[in-house]
Amino acid sequence: MAAVEAPGELLRVTIDDRQVEVAPGSLVWDACEKAGVYVPVYCAHKKLEPVAVCRMCLVEIEGMPKLQPACATRVSQGMQIRTATDQVRDFRRGNLEFLLLNHPLDCPVCDRGGECDLQDFTQRYGPGRTRSAITDKVHFDKAVRLSDRILLDQERCILCWRCVRYYEEVTGEREIVLQERGVHTLVDTFEHRELQSEFQGNLPEICPVGALTHAQYRFRARPWDLRRTASVCPKCSYGCNIFIDAREEQIARFASNDNPDVDDSWLCDRGRYSFPELNRTERVLNPEARLGGGRQPVAHSEALARAAGALLRVRGDHGAGAVGFLCSPQVTNEEGFLLQWLARQVVGSPHLDHRLEPLPELSPEQFRLGIAELEERDAVVVLGDAPERSAPVLTLRLFKTETKRRRRVLRVPLGTPAASLLEPLQGCRSVGVVAHQEQRSEAVALSRSLAGAGLSSSVLTLVEGMNARGCQDLGVSPAVLPGYQPAAEPGMHGRAILEAAAAGSIKALVLLSPDPEWERDPAFEAALSEVEALIVVTPWLGLASRQATVLFPGRTVAEKAGTVTSTEGRVQRVRTALQPRFPFPPDLRVLGELGGALGTPLGVQPLAGPVFSLIAEAVPPYRGTQGGLRADWGAPA
Amino acid sequence: MADSGPGAAEAPPLGRETLARIRRSKQLYPWASSAILPSLWAVQEELGYLTPAALLAVAEELGLEPSEVEAVATFYSMYFRHRAGEHLIQVCRNVSCGLRGADELLRHLERALGVEDGGTTEDGAFTLEGTVECLGACGGAPMMQVDRISYENLDAAAADAVLEQVRSGAPRGRRSRARA
Repeated sequence: MAAVEAPGELLRVTIDDRQVEVAPGSLVWDACEKAGVYVPVYCAHKKLEPVAVCRMCLVEIEGMPKLQPACATRVSQGMQIRTATDQVRDFRRGNLEFLLLNHPLDCPVCDRGGECDLQDFTQRYGPGRTRSAITDKVHFDKAVRLSDRILLDQERCILCWRCVRYYEEVTGEREIVLQERGVHTLVDTFEHRELQSEFQGNLPEICPVGALTHAQYRFRARPWDLRRTASVCPKCSYGCNIFIDAREEQIARFASNDNPDVDDSWLCDRGRYSFPELNRTERVLNPEARLGGGRQPVAHSEALARAAGALLRVRGDHGAGAVGFLCSPQVTNEEGFLLQWLARQVVGSPHLDHRLEPLPELSPEQFRLGIAELEERDAVVVLGDAPERSAPVLTLRLFKTETKRRRRVLRVPLGTPAASLLEPLQGCRSVGVVAHQEQRSEAVALSRSLAGAGLSSSVLTLVEGMNARGCQDLGVSPAVLPGYQPAAEPGMHGRAILEAAAAGSIKALVLLSPDPEWERDPAFEAALSEVEALIVVTPWLGLASRQATVLFPGRTVAEKAGTVTSTEGRVQRVRTALQPRFPFPPDLRVLGELGGALGTPLGVQPLAGPVFSLIAEAVPPYRGTQGGLRADWGAPA
Repeated sequence: MADSGPGAAEAPPLGRETLARIRRSKQLYPWASSAILPSLWAVQEELGYLTPAALLAVAEELGLEPSEVEAVATFYSMYFRHRAGEHLIQVCRNVSCGLRGADELLRHLERALGVEDGGTTEDGAFTLEGTVECLGACGGAPMMQVDRISYENLDAAAADAVLEQVRSGAPRGRRSRARA
């Protein structure tokens, strides 16, 4: 928990005969952790301020007459702490007996069973049996629907206040409070109103017991049935770290995987609850090719040969500029990089994009500011109409910046002149500007003006789509090459490619993981019905898979390995959480082998690791970043 | 839980005097949440109990979340969230009274009034509260208060006499002022 900033002299403390040195201001709990001595807690939480209400963490401290809460006691020089004495043991046993007094003991039907702190601590420290009759328990309501996402079991609650403090300290919404008093105390909302927060999904994760549970996960799995894979949330470009918990090749839940620099352990509901679409079983399961009248399943090698043949024919008849390449920002860096290689190096076409609408004036200057750096700026200027709507977890970072870190957060409308900000920014030396990508040019201009006025200023731009940032960095766009090198001969942007296809000047289209949303766009439909050759790699059935002349079964983001780059330029790994239902090669190999079939071998294995090496060669800022570091694009121009 | 029936939801808004007291309370403290207690007293004096609509109105006046106001209202047993009888009987059950027969006194009152602890008589005359902490008259245990006037050294006959006196409407000394 929050150690003070100035390091000062380290304090030497002893915990059960182990000596550690900790910074002044550290809690006894921190010191115990550093010494490798486990102290059980319920109410304490690394991201919340201490309250010391659960009494589970009481320890002996020499010179103090009574047991002290480790979670709320600051260390002092020479402190002697003991956690394994008879007094502590007796106290823990007694405390657990109290906590269990009115607990329903319904572990067999509780979603939390197997990963419950009440179960675990009772096993480890608790009494084996109760001294009060089970018929004497005070009962509360069970499975209360707080919203369509969250259920509350009031009798499992141990009143640790974590949910109440989460709402006070992390979101500021105060939807849940403690009501009544004494043995009748319970957590509830005002008049049982439905929860409105966009961040409710964090409640079951901070609840140490089975009181708050996910409606979506109810009775779905036991923790020991789950296979856990660390990955990245696919729902937006913010790059929240997640665990994909899967059971029998189906995702059972997304769980947060604390990255203090990105998500700070909080997920938004939009991301957390988005996985059912990845569990859909109506999928493209076979390579298929149009043969004569209809389309038939073919071997992977034949699909490759037919795709290559079709592309060579179009290029031979109409030139390389008659081939267009489109992907969604859901592709990995490696896939995106190979798609642009296929377009530019193999086929020789400049017409390539990762989105439909044009995105002119790309430059790394739009992305200099990191998410965690927001907290270190004296002030943050949020430009335009709530840009954090496209990356909801940023809302919580801004709230923390403003409340816990006490920085100025100014929300200003578009067109605000920098001069009018100088007064509210008086006394600030550094400032961060946050904007949606549609306003990035204005954000950069504002930041430059503020820099001109003597402030240290940089921009955090929020892009749309999981790996849109990676696609921009790696040149999966018509006007810039990998590393933001301007293209000598810019190609057409996504929508222009579709319109050219409908008009007949683009004769072949290669679609990699096309966005299912595009199918509602008349331009997409018109393009697909006009092109001569349509090569599609997609997991999903739909217009693109139906119209394809050659179709390859693609993988979802949960089924592939590689890296993606978040909106702040952090290069993070996605890992294979589910085995696909078909034995065919992943998208990356399709791209690499298609190059080979077109006469340009890739030169390395079409696997994520070797392809990342190619990326690091072409885009030096990416060197050594794939373990989750931000690519360094150099000092501001 | 708070009464959330249709009648409660349509309870009349707070009177001008009550709103004025809430606003005055707000100005007395550095944090608006400190004004919750006096504001709820003002509401209870006007309406007799705290309706959900009144809690909402208090939250709005103080600029707080309604959940915070409800948390305070439910924590303190002297705020009512249901309509109470015309007269409130509170029987102390703390240690001194408990040792001197508070339980017997409460059982006698339950029989005499025909209600259980916490209930209100059918005619709406009395609300009986038997889970009350020390009312500061240990020297006269067992004791009870009726409308905040203390009656000490009670047995069944003495309690009956008090009920009779209250029913008859005879003057019973100075009514203690509610806190504002």
